[in-house]
Amino acid sequence: MSCQRLKSWIEERYDVEGIKSLVAHKVIPVHQYDIWYYTGGIAMFFFILQFITGMVLSMYYIPHLEHAHKSIIEIVTKLNMGWFFRSVHHWGAQLAIIFVFIHVFSTLLLKAYRKPRELTWVTGFMLLTISILFGLSGYLLLWDERAFAAVRVATGGAGNLPLVGGFIKAFLRGGIDVTGETLTRFYAFHVAILPIITILLTVIHLMLVQMQGMSIPVSIEKKQHKTMLFFPNMFYKDLIIWLIMLGIMVSLAVFFPPEIGKKADALAPPPENIKPEWYFLFLFQTLKLFPGEILGLNGETVAIIIISLGILFFFLIPFFDKKSSRGEPSPLFTWIGIIYTLYFVVMTLIGFVT
Amino acid sequence: MKINYSLITRRTFLNTLFGGWIFAMLSGSLYALLKFAFPTLGKEPDFVVLNANDFLNIPPNSVKPFAWGGKLGFFFKKENGTTTALKGVCTHMECNVTYKPELKKFYCACHKGWFDQDGKNIEGPPPKPLEFFDIKVENEKLIVARKGFKVELPKA
Amino acid sequence: MKRFFLSLILVLSNSIFLFAEEKIEIFPSVPFDQFIVYQNLAIFWVAIIGLIVIIRMKLREFERIQKMGIDKEEKDIPLLD
Repeated sequence: MSCQRLKSWIEERYDVEGIKSLVAHKVIPVHQYDIWYYTGGIAMFFFILQFITGMVLSMYYIPHLEHAHKSIIEIVTKLNMGWFFRSVHHWGAQLAIIFVFIHVFSTLLLKAYRKPRELTWVTGFMLLTISILFGLSGYLLLWDERAFAAVRVATGGAGNLPLVGGFIKAFLRGGIDVTGETLTRFYAFHVAILPIITILLTVIHLMLVQMQGMSIPVSIEKKQHKTMLFFPNMFYKDLIIWLIMLGIMVSLAVFFPPEIGKKADALAPPPENIKPEWYFLFLFQTLKLFPGEILGLNGETVAIIIISLGILFFFLIPFFDKKSSRGEPSPLFTWIGIIYTLYFVVMTLIGFVT
Repeated sequence: MKINYSLITRRTFLNTLFGGWIFAMLSGSLYALLKFAFPTLGKEPDFVVLNANDFLNIPPNSVKPFAWGGKLGFFFKKENGTTTALKGVCTHMECNVTYKPELKKFYCACHKGWFDQDGKNIEGPPPKPLEFFDIKVENEKLIVARKGFKVELPKA
Repeated sequence: MKRFFLSLILVLSNSIFLFAEEKIEIFPSVPFDQFIVYQNLAIFWVAIIGLIVIIRMKLREFERIQKMGIDKEEKDIPLLD
Protein backbone atom coordinates (compact mmCIF):
# COMPACT_ATOMS: atom_id res chain seq x y z
CA MET A 1 0.00 0.00 0.00
CA SER A 2 2.56 2.56 -1.03
CA CYS A 3 0.41 4.52 -3.51
CA GLN A 4 3.53 5.51 -5.44
CA ARG A 5 1.57 6.99 -8.33
CA LEU A 6 -0.59 9.15 -6.07
CA LYS A 7 2.49 10.36 -4.22
CA SER A 8 4.28 11.34 -7.39
CA TRP A 9 1.10 12.94 -8.72
CA ILE A 10 1.02 15.21 -5.73
CA GLU A 11 4.76 15.79 -5.62
CA GLU A 12 4.85 16.87 -9.24
CA ARG A 13 2.31 19.59 -8.51
CA TYR A 14 2.98 20.75 -4.99
CA ASP A 15 6.10 21.48 -3.01
CA VAL A 16 5.77 18.60 -0.59
CA GLU A 17 9.49 18.48 0.12
CA GLY A 18 9.40 22.07 1.31
CA ILE A 19 6.64 21.35 3.79
CA LYS A 20 8.36 18.16 4.90
CA SER A 21 11.62 19.94 5.66
CA LEU A 22 9.68 22.70 7.43
CA VAL A 23 8.09 20.10 9.67
CA ALA A 24 11.35 18.23 10.14
CA HIS A 25 13.12 21.37 11.32
CA LYS A 26 10.49 22.70 13.69
CA VAL A 27 11.85 22.31 17.19
CA ILE A 28 10.37 22.88 20.61
CA PRO A 29 12.55 24.05 23.49
CA VAL A 30 12.78 21.67 26.44
CA HIS A 31 12.92 23.17 29.94
CA GLN A 32 11.20 23.01 33.29
CA TYR A 33 8.22 25.11 32.16
CA ASP A 34 7.56 23.32 28.90
CA ILE A 35 4.45 21.63 30.29
CA TRP A 36 2.56 24.90 29.69
CA TYR A 37 3.16 24.53 25.97
CA TYR A 38 0.56 21.78 25.93
CA THR A 39 -2.35 23.83 27.33
CA GLY A 40 -3.00 25.65 24.06
CA GLY A 41 -3.09 22.38 22.17
CA ILE A 42 -5.54 20.93 24.67
CA ALA A 43 -7.83 23.95 24.32
CA MET A 44 -7.72 23.57 20.55
CA PHE A 45 -8.50 19.87 20.83
CA PHE A 46 -11.58 20.62 22.89
CA PHE A 47 -12.68 23.23 20.38
CA ILE A 48 -12.43 20.65 17.61
CA LEU A 49 -14.55 18.22 19.64
CA GLN A 50 -17.06 20.99 20.32
CA PHE A 51 -17.35 21.62 16.60
CA ILE A 52 -18.05 17.94 15.95
CA THR A 53 -20.61 17.38 18.72
CA GLY A 54 -22.16 20.77 17.98
CA MET A 55 -22.65 19.85 14.33
CA VAL A 56 -24.64 16.73 15.16
CA LEU A 57 -26.65 18.43 17.90
CA SER A 58 -27.63 21.25 15.55
CA MET A 59 -29.33 18.66 13.33
CA TYR A 60 -32.05 18.26 15.94
CA TYR A 61 -32.17 21.54 17.84
CA ILE A 62 -34.98 23.96 16.98
CA PRO A 63 -34.18 27.61 17.78
CA HIS A 64 -37.69 28.73 18.53
CA LEU A 65 -39.30 30.06 21.66
CA GLU A 66 -41.91 27.32 21.73
CA HIS A 67 -39.83 24.37 20.62
CA ALA A 68 -36.29 24.97 21.89
CA HIS A 69 -36.74 23.44 25.31
CA LYS A 70 -38.85 20.58 23.97
CA SER A 71 -36.41 19.76 21.21
CA ILE A 72 -33.59 19.37 23.72
CA ILE A 73 -35.72 17.06 25.84
CA GLU A 74 -36.42 15.14 22.65
CA ILE A 75 -32.70 14.89 21.93
CA VAL A 76 -31.98 13.66 25.43
CA THR A 77 -34.82 11.21 25.89
CA LYS A 78 -35.74 9.93 22.44
CA LEU A 79 -32.69 9.83 20.21
CA ASN A 80 -29.96 7.24 20.11
CA MET A 81 -27.14 8.45 22.37
CA GLY A 82 -28.72 11.92 22.44
CA TRP A 83 -28.17 12.33 26.17
CA PHE A 84 -24.52 11.42 25.67
CA PHE A 85 -23.78 13.94 22.95
CA ARG A 86 -25.50 16.74 24.81
CA SER A 87 -23.56 15.83 27.92
CA VAL A 88 -20.28 15.66 25.99
CA HIS A 89 -21.01 19.04 24.42
CA HIS A 90 -21.66 20.50 27.87
CA TRP A 91 -18.53 19.07 29.47
CA GLY A 92 -16.42 19.79 26.40
CA ALA A 93 -17.43 23.45 26.73
CA GLN A 94 -16.51 23.55 30.44
CA LEU A 95 -13.13 21.93 29.84
CA ALA A 96 -12.40 24.09 26.79
CA ILE A 97 -12.96 27.25 28.81
CA ILE A 98 -10.92 25.90 31.74
CA PHE A 99 -7.99 25.23 29.46
CA VAL A 100 -8.33 28.53 27.66
CA PHE A 101 -8.04 30.21 31.07
CA ILE A 102 -5.09 28.06 32.13
CA HIS A 103 -3.42 28.85 28.82
CA VAL A 104 -3.93 32.58 29.13
CA PHE A 105 -2.74 32.75 32.76
CA SER A 106 0.32 30.62 32.02
CA THR A 107 1.14 32.96 29.14
CA LEU A 108 0.69 35.91 31.46
CA LEU A 109 2.91 34.52 34.21
CA LEU A 110 5.66 33.23 31.92
CA LYS A 111 5.53 36.52 29.97
CA ALA A 112 5.21 34.73 26.67
CA TYR A 113 3.32 37.81 25.45
CA ARG A 114 6.43 39.99 25.30
CA LYS A 115 8.00 41.29 22.11
CA PRO A 116 7.71 39.98 19.39
CA ARG A 117 4.55 38.08 20.31
CA GLU A 118 2.14 40.91 21.16
CA LEU A 119 -0.24 40.04 18.35
CA THR A 120 -0.36 36.41 19.45
CA TRP A 121 -1.55 37.69 22.83
CA VAL A 122 -4.12 39.93 21.17
CA THR A 123 -5.58 37.13 19.07
CA GLY A 124 -5.47 34.82 22.08
CA PHE A 125 -7.36 37.35 24.18
CA MET A 126 -10.00 37.62 21.48
CA LEU A 127 -10.31 33.84 21.47
CA LEU A 128 -10.81 33.92 25.24
CA THR A 129 -13.61 36.47 24.83
CA ILE A 130 -15.15 34.35 22.11
CA SER A 131 -15.01 31.23 24.28
CA ILE A 132 -16.96 33.07 26.95
CA LEU A 133 -19.48 34.34 24.41
CA PHE A 134 -19.81 30.78 23.14
CA GLY A 135 -20.58 29.67 26.67
CA LEU A 136 -23.13 32.42 27.25
CA SER A 137 -24.93 31.95 23.94
CA GLY A 138 -24.92 28.18 24.20
CA TYR A 139 -26.30 28.33 27.71
CA LEU A 140 -29.37 30.30 26.62
CA LEU A 141 -30.21 27.78 23.88
CA LEU A 142 -31.36 25.38 26.59
CA TRP A 143 -34.12 27.92 27.30
CA ASP A 144 -34.79 26.78 30.84
CA GLU A 145 -35.41 29.00 33.86
CA ARG A 146 -31.79 29.23 34.92
CA ALA A 147 -30.41 30.00 31.48
CA PHE A 148 -33.07 32.62 31.00
CA ALA A 149 -32.31 34.34 34.31
CA ALA A 150 -28.54 34.12 33.78
CA VAL A 151 -28.67 35.67 30.34
CA ARG A 152 -31.02 38.36 31.58
CA VAL A 153 -28.50 39.27 34.28
CA ALA A 154 -25.46 39.09 31.97
CA THR A 155 -26.95 41.20 29.20
CA GLY A 156 -28.38 43.60 31.78
CA GLY A 157 -24.88 43.95 33.26
CA ALA A 158 -23.45 44.86 29.87
CA GLY A 159 -26.22 47.46 29.65
CA ASN A 160 -24.71 49.29 32.61
CA LEU A 161 -21.67 50.32 30.61
CA PRO A 162 -21.71 54.08 30.08
CA LEU A 163 -22.43 55.35 26.56
CA VAL A 164 -22.26 52.06 24.63
CA GLY A 165 -24.12 49.92 27.18
CA GLY A 166 -27.56 50.52 25.75
CA PHE A 167 -26.47 49.59 22.25
CA ILE A 168 -24.71 46.42 23.38
CA LYS A 169 -27.73 45.37 25.40
CA ALA A 170 -30.14 45.99 22.56
CA PHE A 171 -27.85 44.26 20.10
CA LEU A 172 -27.49 41.17 22.29
CA ARG A 173 -31.12 40.94 23.26
CA GLY A 174 -32.61 41.91 19.94
CA GLY A 175 -35.28 43.80 21.83
CA ILE A 176 -36.02 45.39 25.13
CA ASP A 177 -36.06 42.14 27.10
CA VAL A 178 -34.81 38.59 26.69
CA THR A 179 -37.38 37.05 24.33
CA GLY A 180 -37.67 34.66 21.42
CA GLU A 181 -35.75 37.23 19.40
CA THR A 182 -32.83 36.82 21.76
CA LEU A 183 -32.96 33.07 21.31
CA THR A 184 -32.67 33.15 17.53
CA ARG A 185 -29.99 35.81 17.83
CA PHE A 186 -27.94 33.73 20.25
CA TYR A 187 -28.44 30.71 18.03
CA ALA A 188 -26.97 32.65 15.13
CA PHE A 189 -24.02 33.72 17.31
CA HIS A 190 -23.49 30.22 18.59
CA VAL A 191 -23.63 28.24 15.36
CA ALA A 192 -22.63 30.69 12.64
CA ILE A 193 -20.94 33.90 13.68
CA LEU A 194 -18.69 32.80 16.52
CA PRO A 195 -17.46 29.56 14.88
CA ILE A 196 -16.28 31.41 11.78
CA ILE A 197 -14.50 34.07 13.82
CA THR A 198 -12.97 31.32 15.96
CA ILE A 199 -11.58 29.49 12.94
CA LEU A 200 -10.17 32.70 11.52
CA LEU A 201 -8.52 33.80 14.75
CA THR A 202 -7.21 30.31 15.50
CA VAL A 203 -5.55 30.18 12.10
CA ILE A 204 -3.90 33.56 12.70
CA HIS A 205 -2.92 32.56 16.23
CA LEU A 206 -1.35 29.30 15.05
CA MET A 207 0.40 30.95 12.12
CA LEU A 208 1.95 33.51 14.44
CA VAL A 209 3.12 30.76 16.78
CA GLN A 210 4.45 28.83 13.81
CA MET A 211 6.36 31.84 12.44
CA GLN A 212 7.89 32.94 15.73
CA GLY A 213 8.34 29.64 17.49
CA MET A 214 7.72 28.97 21.15
CA SER A 215 8.53 31.65 23.68
CA ILE A 216 11.07 30.83 26.36
CA PRO A 217 10.68 32.48 29.78
CA VAL A 218 13.07 35.41 30.39
CA SER A 219 14.77 33.75 33.34
CA ILE A 220 16.06 30.82 31.33
CA GLU A 221 16.26 32.36 27.89
CA LYS A 222 20.00 32.98 28.04
CA LYS A 223 20.86 29.51 29.26
CA GLN A 224 21.71 26.68 26.93
CA HIS A 225 18.77 24.33 26.66
CA LYS A 226 17.81 21.23 24.83
CA THR A 227 15.30 21.07 22.04
CA MET A 228 13.09 18.36 20.68
CA LEU A 229 11.52 17.91 17.29
CA PHE A 230 7.91 18.98 16.93
CA PHE A 231 7.25 15.99 14.76
CA PRO A 232 7.24 13.28 15.93
CA ASN A 233 8.20 13.88 19.57
CA MET A 234 6.02 16.83 20.59
CA PHE A 235 3.16 15.70 18.38
CA TYR A 236 3.05 12.27 19.96
CA LYS A 237 3.17 13.72 23.46
CA ASP A 238 0.32 16.04 22.47
CA LEU A 239 -1.58 13.02 21.27
CA ILE A 240 -1.15 11.24 24.60
CA ILE A 241 -2.47 14.24 26.53
CA TRP A 242 -5.39 14.66 24.14
CA LEU A 243 -6.36 11.05 24.63
CA ILE A 244 -6.33 11.42 28.40
CA MET A 245 -8.44 14.58 28.08
CA LEU A 246 -10.87 12.79 25.79
CA GLY A 247 -11.24 10.04 28.37
CA ILE A 248 -11.81 12.54 31.17
CA MET A 249 -14.40 14.41 29.14
CA VAL A 250 -16.32 11.27 28.23
CA SER A 251 -16.24 10.02 31.83
CA LEU A 252 -17.56 13.34 33.12
CA ALA A 253 -20.26 13.23 30.48
CA VAL A 254 -21.34 9.75 31.56
CA PHE A 255 -21.22 10.31 35.31
CA PHE A 256 -22.51 13.88 35.50
CA PRO A 257 -25.00 14.53 32.72
CA PRO A 258 -26.23 18.13 33.01
CA GLU A 259 -29.74 18.71 34.28
CA ILE A 260 -32.51 20.33 32.30
CA GLY A 261 -34.67 22.76 34.24
CA LYS A 262 -38.22 23.88 33.68
CA LYS A 263 -39.02 25.81 30.55
CA ALA A 264 -38.28 29.51 30.83
CA ASP A 265 -41.20 31.77 31.59
CA ALA A 266 -40.67 35.51 31.31
CA LEU A 267 -43.34 36.24 33.90
CA ALA A 268 -42.32 33.68 36.53
CA PRO A 269 -39.94 34.74 39.31
CA PRO A 270 -36.35 33.56 38.78
CA PRO A 271 -35.45 30.31 40.60
CA GLU A 272 -33.84 30.47 44.05
CA ASN A 273 -30.16 31.40 44.39
CA ILE A 274 -29.26 31.37 40.75
CA LYS A 275 -25.59 31.53 39.95
CA PRO A 276 -24.03 32.41 36.65
CA GLU A 277 -21.77 29.91 34.92
CA TRP A 278 -18.47 29.54 36.74
CA TYR A 279 -16.49 31.71 34.34
CA PHE A 280 -18.71 34.64 35.23
CA LEU A 281 -18.47 34.09 38.96
CA PHE A 282 -15.49 36.40 39.43
CA LEU A 283 -17.43 39.24 37.79
CA PHE A 284 -20.51 38.40 39.82
CA GLN A 285 -18.51 38.47 43.07
CA THR A 286 -16.82 41.73 42.14
CA LEU A 287 -20.19 43.34 41.52
CA LYS A 288 -21.28 42.24 44.98
CA LEU A 289 -18.32 44.09 46.55
CA PHE A 290 -19.60 47.46 45.44
CA PRO A 291 -22.25 49.36 47.40
CA GLY A 292 -25.39 50.53 45.67
CA GLU A 293 -24.24 54.12 45.44
CA ILE A 294 -20.78 55.66 45.24
CA LEU A 295 -20.41 59.45 45.37
CA GLY A 296 -23.90 59.90 44.02
CA LEU A 297 -23.29 57.56 41.10
CA ASN A 298 -24.95 54.23 40.43
CA GLY A 299 -22.71 51.66 42.18
CA GLU A 300 -23.14 49.08 39.48
CA THR A 301 -22.06 51.49 36.76
CA VAL A 302 -18.93 52.35 38.72
CA ALA A 303 -18.21 48.66 39.24
CA ILE A 304 -18.66 47.87 35.56
CA ILE A 305 -16.36 50.73 34.59
CA ILE A 306 -13.67 49.54 36.97
CA ILE A 307 -13.98 45.95 35.76
CA SER A 308 -13.82 47.09 32.15
CA LEU A 309 -10.68 49.09 32.87
CA GLY A 310 -9.16 46.07 34.58
CA ILE A 311 -9.90 43.89 31.58
CA LEU A 312 -8.65 46.55 29.18
CA PHE A 313 -5.37 46.76 31.11
CA PHE A 314 -5.10 42.97 31.00
CA PHE A 315 -5.60 43.10 27.25
CA LEU A 316 -2.89 45.74 26.81
CA ILE A 317 -0.30 44.25 29.18
CA PRO A 318 2.18 43.38 26.38
CA PHE A 319 2.28 47.05 25.41
CA PHE A 320 2.80 48.31 28.97
CA ASP A 321 5.44 45.80 29.95
CA LYS A 322 8.45 47.58 28.46
CA LYS A 323 11.08 45.82 30.52
CA SER A 324 10.33 42.29 29.53
CA SER A 325 10.01 43.31 25.90
CA ARG A 326 13.67 44.29 26.16
CA GLY A 327 14.37 40.83 27.57
CA GLU A 328 14.98 42.05 31.11
CA PRO A 329 13.16 40.62 34.13
CA SER A 330 10.21 42.79 35.12
CA PRO A 331 9.08 41.91 38.65
CA LEU A 332 6.31 44.54 38.60
CA PHE A 333 4.45 42.70 35.87
CA THR A 334 5.13 39.36 37.50
CA TRP A 335 3.26 40.71 40.50
CA ILE A 336 0.49 42.12 38.34
CA GLY A 337 0.16 38.72 36.71
CA ILE A 338 0.04 36.98 40.06
CA ILE A 339 -2.59 39.43 41.33
CA TYR A 340 -4.76 38.90 38.27
CA THR A 341 -4.48 35.11 38.55
CA LEU A 342 -5.13 35.07 42.29
CA TYR A 343 -8.04 37.44 41.97
CA PHE A 344 -9.66 35.28 39.34
CA VAL A 345 -9.09 32.04 41.22
CA VAL A 346 -10.09 33.34 44.66
CA MET A 347 -13.19 35.16 43.45
CA THR A 348 -14.31 32.12 41.46
CA LEU A 349 -13.82 29.90 44.50
CA ILE A 350 -15.70 32.29 46.78
CA GLY A 351 -18.52 32.45 44.27
CA PHE A 352 -18.54 28.67 44.12
CA VAL A 353 -18.70 28.15 47.86
CA THR A 354 -21.28 30.79 48.79
CA MET B 1 8.52 -24.75 7.91
CA LYS B 2 10.40 -22.93 10.58
CA ILE B 3 11.85 -19.51 10.02
CA ASN B 4 14.78 -18.48 12.13
CA TYR B 5 14.22 -14.79 11.72
CA SER B 6 11.13 -12.65 11.77
CA LEU B 7 9.66 -11.52 8.49
CA ILE B 8 8.42 -8.29 9.96
CA THR B 9 10.50 -5.81 11.86
CA ARG B 10 9.56 -4.45 15.23
CA ARG B 11 8.90 -1.16 13.53
CA THR B 12 6.37 -2.43 11.01
CA PHE B 13 4.65 -4.40 13.74
CA LEU B 14 4.36 -1.33 15.90
CA ASN B 15 3.20 0.83 13.01
CA THR B 16 0.53 -1.66 12.02
CA LEU B 17 -0.67 -1.98 15.58
CA PHE B 18 -0.72 1.79 15.95
CA GLY B 19 -2.62 2.39 12.74
CA GLY B 20 -5.04 -0.43 13.39
CA TRP B 21 -5.75 0.75 16.93
CA ILE B 22 -6.38 4.32 15.83
CA PHE B 23 -8.61 3.05 13.03
CA ALA B 24 -10.61 0.90 15.44
CA MET B 25 -11.05 3.74 17.91
CA LEU B 26 -12.02 6.28 15.28
CA SER B 27 -14.52 3.94 13.67
CA GLY B 28 -16.04 3.18 17.06
CA SER B 29 -16.48 6.85 17.82
CA LEU B 30 -17.74 7.54 14.32
CA TYR B 31 -20.30 4.76 14.69
CA ALA B 32 -21.69 6.39 17.83
CA LEU B 33 -21.79 9.74 16.04
CA LEU B 34 -23.58 8.28 13.03
CA LYS B 35 -26.05 6.49 15.23
CA PHE B 36 -26.99 9.87 16.61
CA ALA B 37 -26.92 11.66 13.27
CA PHE B 38 -29.08 9.04 11.53
CA PRO B 39 -31.98 8.53 13.93
CA THR B 40 -33.33 5.59 11.94
CA LEU B 41 -30.12 3.56 12.26
CA GLY B 42 -30.97 0.50 14.36
CA LYS B 43 -34.21 2.09 15.47
CA GLU B 44 -37.67 0.63 15.19
CA PRO B 45 -40.84 2.57 14.47
CA ASP B 46 -43.46 3.16 17.13
CA PHE B 47 -46.19 2.07 14.76
CA VAL B 48 -46.84 1.26 11.09
CA VAL B 49 -49.99 1.73 9.06
CA LEU B 50 -50.99 -1.00 6.61
CA ASN B 51 -53.85 -1.66 4.23
CA ALA B 52 -56.35 -3.71 6.19
CA ASN B 53 -57.78 -5.57 3.17
CA ASP B 54 -54.43 -7.12 2.36
CA PHE B 55 -54.11 -8.69 5.75
CA LEU B 56 -57.46 -9.46 7.34
CA ASN B 57 -58.50 -12.02 4.73
CA ILE B 58 -55.61 -14.44 5.05
CA PRO B 59 -56.56 -18.06 5.83
CA PRO B 60 -56.48 -19.21 9.45
CA ASN B 61 -53.28 -20.68 10.83
CA SER B 62 -51.04 -18.61 8.57
CA VAL B 63 -48.92 -15.50 8.63
CA LYS B 64 -48.36 -12.57 6.29
CA PRO B 65 -45.14 -10.59 6.53
CA PHE B 66 -45.00 -6.80 6.66
CA ALA B 67 -42.19 -4.30 7.09
CA TRP B 68 -41.68 -3.23 10.70
CA GLY B 69 -39.23 -0.42 10.02
CA GLY B 70 -36.26 -2.23 8.54
CA LYS B 71 -37.23 -5.47 10.20
CA LEU B 72 -39.65 -8.29 9.60
CA GLY B 73 -43.09 -8.22 11.12
CA PHE B 74 -45.77 -10.92 10.92
CA PHE B 75 -49.51 -10.52 10.79
CA PHE B 76 -50.69 -13.77 12.33
CA LYS B 77 -54.12 -15.42 12.19
CA LYS B 78 -54.45 -18.32 14.59
CA GLU B 79 -56.49 -21.40 13.83
CA ASN B 80 -59.43 -20.12 15.89
CA GLY B 81 -59.49 -16.93 13.81
CA THR B 82 -58.03 -14.47 16.32
CA THR B 83 -55.55 -12.08 14.78
CA THR B 84 -52.43 -10.53 16.15
CA ALA B 85 -49.09 -9.13 14.98
CA LEU B 86 -45.58 -9.80 16.14
CA LYS B 87 -41.99 -9.03 15.32
CA GLY B 88 -40.59 -11.88 13.27
CA VAL B 89 -37.11 -11.56 14.69
CA CYS B 90 -35.60 -14.17 16.96
CA THR B 91 -34.68 -12.85 20.38
CA HIS B 92 -31.43 -14.77 20.38
CA MET B 93 -29.29 -13.42 17.53
CA GLU B 94 -31.87 -11.42 15.60
CA CYS B 95 -32.42 -13.87 12.74
CA ASN B 96 -35.78 -13.85 10.99
CA VAL B 97 -38.12 -16.60 12.12
CA THR B 98 -40.54 -18.62 9.98
CA TYR B 99 -43.96 -19.99 10.86
CA LYS B 100 -44.49 -23.75 10.63
CA PRO B 101 -48.29 -24.19 10.19
CA GLU B 102 -48.14 -27.97 10.59
CA LEU B 103 -46.50 -27.67 14.01
CA LYS B 104 -48.13 -24.35 14.94
CA LYS B 105 -44.76 -23.05 15.99
CA PHE B 106 -42.32 -20.34 15.01
CA TYR B 107 -38.91 -21.61 14.05
CA CYS B 108 -35.57 -19.84 13.88
CA ALA B 109 -33.18 -21.62 11.55
CA CYS B 110 -30.02 -19.91 12.77
CA HIS B 111 -29.65 -21.82 16.01
CA LYS B 112 -32.73 -24.02 15.99
CA GLY B 113 -34.88 -21.95 18.28
CA TRP B 114 -38.59 -22.69 18.68
CA PHE B 115 -41.45 -20.48 19.81
CA ASP B 116 -45.05 -21.54 20.32
CA GLN B 117 -48.17 -19.80 18.99
CA ASP B 118 -48.05 -17.22 21.77
CA GLY B 119 -44.43 -16.46 21.03
CA LYS B 120 -43.11 -18.23 24.09
CA ASN B 121 -39.58 -19.55 23.71
CA ILE B 122 -39.99 -23.30 24.21
CA GLU B 123 -36.84 -24.82 22.81
CA GLY B 124 -33.33 -23.84 21.82
CA PRO B 125 -31.23 -20.84 22.73
CA PRO B 126 -33.71 -17.89 22.56
CA PRO B 127 -33.74 -16.17 25.95
CA LYS B 128 -36.98 -14.21 25.60
CA PRO B 129 -40.40 -14.65 24.00
CA LEU B 130 -41.15 -12.97 20.68
CA GLU B 131 -42.39 -9.39 20.81
CA PHE B 132 -46.09 -8.90 20.11
CA PHE B 133 -47.76 -5.72 18.92
CA ASP B 134 -51.12 -4.10 19.42
CA ILE B 135 -53.31 -4.05 16.35
CA LYS B 136 -56.28 -1.88 15.52
CA VAL B 137 -58.44 -1.54 12.42
CA GLU B 138 -59.59 1.95 11.54
CA ASN B 139 -61.46 2.69 8.30
CA GLU B 140 -59.66 0.21 6.06
CA LYS B 141 -56.38 0.84 7.80
CA LEU B 142 -54.57 -1.69 9.91
CA ILE B 143 -52.49 -0.01 12.56
CA VAL B 144 -49.76 -2.07 14.16
CA ALA B 145 -48.22 -0.38 17.17
CA ARG B 146 -45.67 -1.13 19.84
CA LYS B 147 -47.42 -2.40 22.95
CA GLY B 148 -48.70 0.46 25.05
CA PHE B 149 -47.98 3.14 22.43
CA LYS B 150 -50.82 5.58 21.76
CA VAL B 151 -51.18 6.14 18.04
CA GLU B 152 -52.25 9.57 16.92
CA LEU B 153 -52.79 9.61 13.19
CA PRO B 154 -52.53 12.99 11.52
CA LYS B 155 -55.88 14.21 10.26
CA ALA B 156 -55.75 13.95 6.52
CA MET C 1 -62.68 22.45 58.05
CA LYS C 2 -63.26 19.50 55.78
CA ARG C 3 -63.12 21.74 52.79
CA PHE C 4 -59.85 23.20 53.96
CA PHE C 5 -58.26 19.75 54.20
CA LEU C 6 -59.60 18.78 50.85
CA SER C 7 -58.15 21.84 49.22
CA LEU C 8 -54.87 21.26 51.03
CA ILE C 9 -54.69 17.71 49.72
CA LEU C 10 -55.52 18.98 46.26
CA VAL C 11 -52.73 21.54 46.39
CA LEU C 12 -50.25 19.02 47.75
CA SER C 13 -51.07 16.38 45.16
CA ASN C 14 -50.82 19.00 42.48
CA SER C 15 -47.38 19.97 43.59
CA ILE C 16 -46.35 16.29 43.68
CA PHE C 17 -47.46 15.93 40.09
CA LEU C 18 -45.52 19.03 39.21
CA PHE C 19 -42.37 17.60 40.72
CA ALA C 20 -42.89 14.32 38.96
CA GLU C 21 -43.22 16.16 35.69
CA GLU C 22 -40.21 18.36 36.25
CA LYS C 23 -37.68 15.55 36.43
CA ILE C 24 -36.38 14.87 32.96
CA GLU C 25 -34.46 11.69 32.36
CA ILE C 26 -31.00 12.76 31.37
CA PHE C 27 -29.52 9.29 31.62
CA PRO C 28 -30.83 5.90 30.48
CA SER C 29 -33.14 4.59 33.19
CA VAL C 30 -33.22 0.92 32.21
CA PRO C 31 -30.56 -0.94 34.25
CA PHE C 32 -29.49 -2.94 31.22
CA ASP C 33 -28.88 0.22 29.18
CA GLN C 34 -26.95 1.71 32.07
CA PHE C 35 -24.82 -1.39 32.23
CA ILE C 36 -24.08 -1.10 28.50
CA VAL C 37 -23.10 2.55 28.95
CA TYR C 38 -20.67 1.77 31.77
CA GLN C 39 -19.30 -1.19 29.88
CA ASN C 40 -18.66 0.97 26.83
CA LEU C 41 -16.97 3.58 28.98
CA ALA C 42 -14.67 0.91 30.38
CA ILE C 43 -13.87 -0.36 26.90
CA PHE C 44 -13.19 3.23 25.82
CA TRP C 45 -10.69 3.70 28.64
CA VAL C 46 -8.98 0.42 27.82
CA ALA C 47 -8.68 1.57 24.21
CA ILE C 48 -7.23 4.91 25.30
CA ILE C 49 -4.71 3.33 27.64
CA GLY C 50 -3.72 0.81 24.97
CA LEU C 51 -3.18 3.58 22.47
CA ILE C 52 -1.13 5.55 24.97
CA VAL C 53 1.09 2.53 25.55
CA ILE C 54 1.61 2.12 21.82
CA ILE C 55 2.40 5.81 21.37
CA ARG C 56 4.92 5.65 24.20
CA MET C 57 6.58 2.66 22.58
CA LYS C 58 6.81 4.56 19.32
CA LEU C 59 8.17 7.61 21.13
CA ARG C 60 10.88 5.49 22.73
CA GLU C 61 11.76 4.13 19.34
CA PHE C 62 12.06 7.63 17.89
CA GLU C 63 14.19 8.77 20.78
CA ARG C 64 16.46 5.76 20.44
CA ILE C 65 16.88 6.40 16.74
CA GLN C 66 17.49 10.10 17.31
CA LYS C 67 20.14 9.29 19.92
CA MET C 68 21.90 7.02 17.47
CA GLY C 69 21.72 9.82 14.93
CA ILE C 70 20.47 7.65 12.10
CA ASP C 71 17.21 9.51 11.57
CA LYS C 72 18.83 11.80 9.04
CA GLU C 73 18.29 10.16 5.72
CA GLU C 74 21.12 10.02 3.27
CA LYS C 75 20.33 11.72 0.03
CA ASP C 76 22.09 9.41 -2.44
CA ILE C 77 21.05 5.95 -1.43
CA PRO C 78 20.69 3.61 -4.41
CA LEU C 79 17.01 2.81 -4.78
CA LEU C 80 15.84 -0.78 -4.78
CA ASP C 81 13.00 -1.66 -7.05
